[in-house]
Amino acid sequence: MVRVVVGIKWVPNTQAVRFDPKTGTLMREGVPSIINPPDLSAVEFALKIKERYGGEAIAITMAPPSAVKGLEHVLGMGVDRAVLISDRAFAGADTLATSYVLAEAIKKISRDVGKVDLAVFGQETIDSSTAHIPAQTASWLRWPYVYYVTDLEIKDDKVVVSRVLEDRVEKYELELPSVISVFMESIEARDVRLLHKLRAKIEKPIVVWSNKELKLDPRCIGLKGSPTMVSKITWTLEVPRKKIVYKPKDPEDAARWLISMLLKDEKTSKIFKWVVGG
Amino acid sequence: MSLNCSDLCPLWPCEDKKEYKGVWVVGEVSEKGLHEASLQMLTPALKVSKKLRSEVVGVLIGYNVKKYADEFIKHGASKVIVVDDKALSTYYPMLYGDVIVELAKRFKPELILIAATMRGREMAPYIANTLKTGITADCTDFDVDEKTGDVLQIRPPFGAMLLAHIKTPSRRPQVSTARPNVFPVPPRDDSRSGEIIEVKVNVRKPRMKLISVKKIKKEEVPIEKAEVIVSGGKGIGSKEGFKVLEELANLLGGVVAGSRKAVDAGWIPRERQVGQTGKSVKPILYIAVGISGAAQHMFGVREAGVIVAINKDENAPIFRQADYGIVSDYREVLPKLIEYINSLKKEPRLLKELIE
Ligand SMILES: Cc1cc2nc3c(=O)[nH]c(=O)nc-3n(C[C@H](O)[C@H](O)[C@H](O)COP(=O)(O)OP(=O)(O)OC[C@H]3O[C@@H](n4cnc5c(N)ncnc54)[C@H](O)[C@@H]3O)c2cc1C
Ligand SMILES: Nc1ncnc2c1ncn2[C@@H]1O[C@H](COP(=O)(O)O)[C@@H](O)[C@H]1O
Repeated sequence: MVRVVVGIKWVPNTQAVRFDPKTGTLMREGVPSIINPPDLSAVEFALKIKERYGGEAIAITMAPPSAVKGLEHVLGMGVDRAVLISDRAFAGADTLATSYVLAEAIKKISRDVGKVDLAVFGQETIDSSTAHIPAQTASWLRWPYVYYVTDLEIKDDKVVVSRVLEDRVEKYELELPSVISVFMESIEARDVRLLHKLRAKIEKPIVVWSNKELKLDPRCIGLKGSPTMVSKITWTLEVPRKKIVYKPKDPEDAARWLISMLLKDEKTSKIFKWVVGG
Repeated sequence: MSLNCSDLCPLWPCEDKKEYKGVWVVGEVSEKGLHEASLQMLTPALKVSKKLRSEVVGVLIGYNVKKYADEFIKHGASKVIVVDDKALSTYYPMLYGDVIVELAKRFKPELILIAATMRGREMAPYIANTLKTGITADCTDFDVDEKTGDVLQIRPPFGAMLLAHIKTPSRRPQVSTARPNVFPVPPRDDSRSGEIIEVKVNVRKPRMKLISVKKIKKEEVPIEKAEVIVSGGKGIGSKEGFKVLEELANLLGGVVAGSRKAVDAGWIPRERQVGQTGKSVKPILYIAVGISGAAQHMFGVREAGVIVAINKDENAPIFRQADYGIVSDYREVLPKLIEYINSLKKEPRLLKELIE
């Protein structure tokens, strides 16, 4: 029996965000939100653990109310219940304040529902990609943790994980409870099943926790509980480039033009002479 | 500014930030020695320390690591704090993190810089959080607010050409990471000397154990080492489409890379992604094919010598960020380009004509 909590984030679909070449900003209006794609791998991971060892998988997200849609999706995948942590008091949180709330929610689940053995997260989010939350949550909980997990086995009160780094695969044994983040694309998420969807419709397994339930000190959450702040926004300094654009008559013309430019450019001429053996 | 402890989250220590001095660079050590990415962090460390009028301190923890202290010093650190302990012979994120936390509480640095290697990304947020301070990931530049002494941690946010300047006004130390290759290693100066401070720290029992390590052999040249890169984006359209890029790369003695959309589509492995959330590269020649030129992508090629763009849309933003742009369908241009280079190879005489 294993109780797994999986953290998911509700993010703007960055693929659908369009770039305004005039102002250089992103046009976010009307952009739909989605579940952070790497988190679907994390959910799949949690479901595999539950199927293999029995127990339950609980999804949590700290997000505005619209994230219910995301929770419905993972319930449809087979997650047993879900917690939406939502309150204006949590708004404006940086990763420290976000992880604090998530850790406190995991503690509350342990108290109210039953002891949590494992907290699973995605590797990083597509909208900020800090990869902070898993380690920060582990720090609040004082649970051992490891990132980039591709495989996992539970043995008694321990978990054995495989994880990848740039140039190696490592195997670790961690004491439970522990925190893991799942390597970006290590596992493909299953589709929503009608059966799970129907069950979720009947059982209504989504609970919403505001700070009335969590009872956290207002100085530790939201904007107040966030040590970092954006002090200003500036334009990126452009790297100076030649910006010579050519509309060729035909592909042959294009090839000839490009090679002659690269041969004349002192930076690249070397590689070309070498290539052509000159 | 006076400190009002009752305004702070009671879980945070309440201290005067003036007690904190010095810019730290945490070194990552593997069997290959001190990681180059850690030495690269000395570049922003030196910039910030100059403005803060403080010193750069290298931090080395592990077993048999003292011998690397000199590397830090020769590249610009004034001091190196070393914790050399058999109990630290294996890296565990929480164990190493707790040692750095211990050191930070004892020595009180104002800024801690950690290279965002995979291990660095794993350990840095733990350190910051355990110290109950803020952390900014993947910074691309640093500055100092002269009035307050706050470090401005600059990073591209979710927003194209813009840069967010992030600060941590009420907490110390400030913690930031930067991706490998975003900064160069400062030049080595063999005449430099510095102080090595050996410290004993209470090492906790790790609640995890390393069972095995298997090295992955990579046959191809990693993109961050390549002199020529032919990079493909969404515009390539399919995995097969990358074959012609591969052919061109081979011909030029280079490698293939891609944009995040190409990676997400599964046309090219993630370790070959160029950009803010991929890798920064510094080839002599970067040929971007079917790539629109999003800021997050272009960020990864700031250090490229020459950028060539091939895109069929003449309004693609990449043309304003490239040296040479060709408005064409890559499917027509690349085969001709390959053919042309091949013919030049056979007849170097044609080459002379071209240069004239
Ligand atoms: C937080 C964050 C981090 C990100 N990090 C990265 C990152 O590290 N790296 C990265 O690359 N992106 C990153 N992105 C994504 C980035 O914003 C862009 O979405 C992405 O770079 C676009 O990829 P693309 O240029 O391949 O695709 P598109 O923008 O879709 O461009 C495709 C281009 O191909 C051209 N084209 C189509 N067909 C042809 C043809 N036959 N011949 C020639 N040209 C053709 C089109 O005109 C178009 O310009 C990040 C985004 C966010 C929000
Ligand atoms: N608001 C949130 N609610 C629940 N989980 C989150 C939230 N933000 C981040 N996470 C989890 O933490 C992982 C890393 O996110 P990040 O540190 O923001 O890159 C994500 O893949 C999610 O699994």
